[in-house]
Amino acid sequence: MAQVEVSHLHKVFEGESRTVTALDDVSFEASGHTFVSLVGPSGCGKSTLLNILAGVEHATSGRAEILDGGRRARLGYVFQSPRLLPWRTVLDNMMFVQPDQGAEHRERAEHYLEMVGLSDTRKAWPGQLSGGMQQRVGIARAFSIEPDALLMDEPFSHLDAITARTLRRELHALWMETRKTVLFVTHDVFEAVELSDRIIILAKGGSLRQNLTIDLPYPRDPSDDRVALTKTEVLRQFEDLDLVAS
Amino acid sequence: MQATLETSRVPAAWIRIVHLLTTPRAARLTAPILIIVTWQLVAPLIGSTLLPMPIDVLEEFIDLAIEGTVWSAFAISFVRLGIGLALAVVIGVVVGLLLGLSPRAEAFAHDFLVIGLTFPYLIWGIIVSMWFGFGDAGPILVVFIAAVPYVIVNMAEGVRDAPRDLIDMARSYDAPRLRVIRQVVVPSLSPFFFAALRYGLANGWKGLVLAEVFAATSGAGWEIAGMRDIGNASGVVAYALYFAFFSILVERLVFGRLSDWVFRWRPRRPEAARAVNA
Repeated sequence: MAQVEVSHLHKVFEGESRTVTALDDVSFEASGHTFVSLVGPSGCGKSTLLNILAGVEHATSGRAEILDGGRRARLGYVFQSPRLLPWRTVLDNMMFVQPDQGAEHRERAEHYLEMVGLSDTRKAWPGQLSGGMQQRVGIARAFSIEPDALLMDEPFSHLDAITARTLRRELHALWMETRKTVLFVTHDVFEAVELSDRIIILAKGGSLRQNLTIDLPYPRDPSDDRVALTKTEVLRQFEDLDLVAS
Repeated sequence: MQATLETSRVPAAWIRIVHLLTTPRAARLTAPILIIVTWQLVAPLIGSTLLPMPIDVLEEFIDLAIEGTVWSAFAISFVRLGIGLALAVVIGVVVGLLLGLSPRAEAFAHDFLVIGLTFPYLIWGIIVSMWFGFGDAGPILVVFIAAVPYVIVNMAEGVRDAPRDLIDMARSYDAPRLRVIRQVVVPSLSPFFFAALRYGLANGWKGLVLAEVFAATSGAGWEIAGMRDIGNASGVVAYALYFAFFSILVERLVFGRLSDWVFRWRPRRPEAARAVNA
């Protein structure tokens, strides 16, 4: 079971003319079947946090890692843009991330494509798919390595509202089935409330401001009173924070 | 109302013919036909042996083909081009990748590249004729010199244009290094490699023909210069047509097909148009 540990994490980007603090003493933990959303204004270091956890960027100081049974957890990553290899077919894109290229992993890749309803596009080039379909492939790719935990960086922000809602529902279904630990970055508070067990709010300048538990049963219908109320409540906290920050 | 009546008098067949002649496909044919017709009409008016008539040129063109010297001359040139270009690609790709990766190496090589890209082939032709006399070495060296800067510049640009988002994706999924090189790095470089090959070939060819005038006693460049020396104007033009013919042949048979296959993943026209409109 994956264990997310972030303690006293700092990240400073040294530019030529100025230095930017992206993360300022961030600490939190999460484990097991938790869906954690990281919410905050743009430029607050949310994506940087995911990149550090994924090993693509390095922390300036502090620690951030996801462990599973003492070893580094296997991670699936869904990006803001699909990040598919345009010169590989959809199935080859799924195979690209598999640790092993054998038949077992091929079946697994096909299985997850089927789960997002894209079996027919196996042999298509990514450029032939719509933006929503490409992002679906990106999600299927992340689940297909059967990761210990999933990182998602505003995966629906580039999509139109209707496609985004459909994909959000599909993601939720996949998550209910697999129950991986998820770290989900978004600037959409409503999206965070609909999907997550916990919401971590980061302020501008990259400091952690709130660590909220959302105790509502799934599925969370947007028209449900309690869901609507929680959204309003979290949004208020989020806005208060903006005032504090400025 | 008047306008409608006017147009209705134009026969439908005529409209169809005009339409047929103006499609992009037909334009590829109508353009050369128009040029040849104009040429045939104008040449007798000037009445000089220096401007041969298309019919004479055609005769010469066919004679050259039957006689066979043109094929052997171009074969010699193509071998020189092939050797020079192969050297330019091997060395140019290595140097280009290095320059793309290291800003210091780029700074070191920058001025040499600018000189290499702009230096007149004529000067190289003269220099190699001095060094190597008449033979294969001079022309091959000029092909290399003419082609290699284009290969270097394009490959360096390819490295600088590396798809960082895809490489980060690969790293976050712990994809093995070899797989990343084969499936991410190499394909991302291939458009630049293509440009390198195209420009290298085109410029190597131009350099070669010039070098053959000065530093060889065989090859297409030497032959066409010989035509001039004996004052055979229609021979010069007929030879020039062979140059055009081989350009089109290489473009169609090699580059056209190869790039269609290598870039088969690129969205076709309708999608591209949509992207422009969006």
